[in-house]
Amino acid sequence: MSLVMSGAPARKKAVPRKSRKKRSTFDTTLGRAMLQLLGVAIFFALWEAGVHAGYISAFLMGSPSGIFATSYKLILSGELLSDSWYTLFEAILGFIIGTIFGSLFGLALWYSVFVAKLVEPFIVAINSVPKIALAPIVVLWFGTGLISKIALAVSLTALVALIAAYQAAKDADVDLQSLMISMGADKHQVFWKAVVPSTLPSIIATFRINIGFGLVGAVVGEFISSQRGLGHMIFLASSLYDLNSVWVGLFTLMILGFVLYYVIDIIERTLLPWKQATTSHQVQV
Amino acid sequence: MPPKQIQLTVQNISKSFAGKGGDFNVLDDLTFTINESDFVSIIGPSGCGKTTIFNIIAGLLEPDGGTITYRGEEIESLRGRVGYMMQKDLLFPWRTVMGNVLLGLETRGVDQKEAEEKAREYLKQFGLAGFENAYPKTLSGGMRQRVALIRTLIMDPDILLLDEPFSALDYQTRLYLEGVLKDAVQTYNKTVILVTHDIDEAVALSKRVVVLSGRPARVKVVHEIDIEATSPITARNDVKFSTYFKTLCAELDIQTEKTS
Repeated sequence: MSLVMSGAPARKKAVPRKSRKKRSTFDTTLGRAMLQLLGVAIFFALWEAGVHAGYISAFLMGSPSGIFATSYKLILSGELLSDSWYTLFEAILGFIIGTIFGSLFGLALWYSVFVAKLVEPFIVAINSVPKIALAPIVVLWFGTGLISKIALAVSLTALVALIAAYQAAKDADVDLQSLMISMGADKHQVFWKAVVPSTLPSIIATFRINIGFGLVGAVVGEFISSQRGLGHMIFLASSLYDLNSVWVGLFTLMILGFVLYYVIDIIERTLLPWKQATTSHQVQV
Repeated sequence: MPPKQIQLTVQNISKSFAGKGGDFNVLDDLTFTINESDFVSIIGPSGCGKTTIFNIIAGLLEPDGGTITYRGEEIESLRGRVGYMMQKDLLFPWRTVMGNVLLGLETRGVDQKEAEEKAREYLKQFGLAGFENAYPKTLSGGMRQRVALIRTLIMDPDILLLDEPFSALDYQTRLYLEGVLKDAVQTYNKTVILVTHDIDEAVALSKRVVVLSGRPARVKVVHEIDIEATSPITARNDVKFSTYFKTLCAELDIQTEKTS
């Protein structure tokens, strides 16, 4: 059946529909990057101008030109690189140890509801202690070297991972587990094939939080006592009122955290290929 | 016709759950039998414990009392020997179509290569060749439920327990999958117990329909469905179809005629 009525002249031509929402010229990857860089440039320009005009004290705030000169000097001398490596190493090692042990322990609690209920209040209690407060004892126990910083990073990351993994294992779809049991699967098979994979997204989500905590542990450890690392550098520089060096340390930490965040992103995409299909599109409001 | 052999007997099964106002009986003294190569639909008011029966047969729940007899032998449950399919397709989102189909064979410890070969055969037969590496969320509801059906059949289960497997699908897809199911059941000579709230579906597919009463569930009546049809769609055109439909509606106290 034809839908065109005979005799009725086609007066109107089909007009291409206008897109309901016009996309901004800058709404592309390159455009956004340009805007972001522009924002950063304006921020530093205002800062520098403020210092030159005398509104901002270079002594208390530092200045972008000073920061630039200092970082140039610290890069050339190799200090910045070696301090960064040191801190990065502590943070990553602490992160890996803490996250792996925390996650494994949290997952293992799935095996026994009895044990889980038994230890739950202790986990909550330990978690409610601000871990930074442990720093002085950790230094007492593990000395002023590498181990104490890693231990601090572990103490910060392990419980986050443990609680997230335990919660995710508890929330794992019961129907998937029932299906496996009806197929004759034993408890280990249910654990490895149904529970563990379904907790992976939550566990990887804690990576993002924990990589930050790893850095916190390393830097705080270095604040308290150390001879190396970015935390040590910042602490030393601020006690000498060398604000430019403090900023160099902070910006370096920022860059480290930033890079690590995207490394986690890559890890997530590699480990969870099945998650990608849905997260790519969002509802337009 | 050869005399019907009884494959499964569920006898005097009772089950109660602890609730706020004390225990409530879901199943009380429930008895029914399933023949070899039977296709039995269980219908009844919602919440009458149909899923509980399945969970007991599949070994996910322990009954408070009663016995299950399989081919003359008293057993605890049919755990590991049933193919359980639910309303949700329950595909593992992190596994590809192939991975999902292989789930059961993996837990059983079947050789990987042999299992994959078998899986490919099944996928081809059900029109899913080429989707081996697709993740479930990229498939349509009908395709997902077909994957779930393959995952169930590939285990070569003694009995298929289907718990409203098509009720989440649209009508066209449901009709299509009913046909796929009926063909598959005939090809592989399977016994099926289907729980449904869809009287139409029950009549179109089954050899027998068991009507349950409300909680606690008891068998109210069993109807033999005598429709010789090649597909669930032609079954719906059979002259006897509407009679069965009306009878079953009456059993469930659904009014089909307007009363003044």
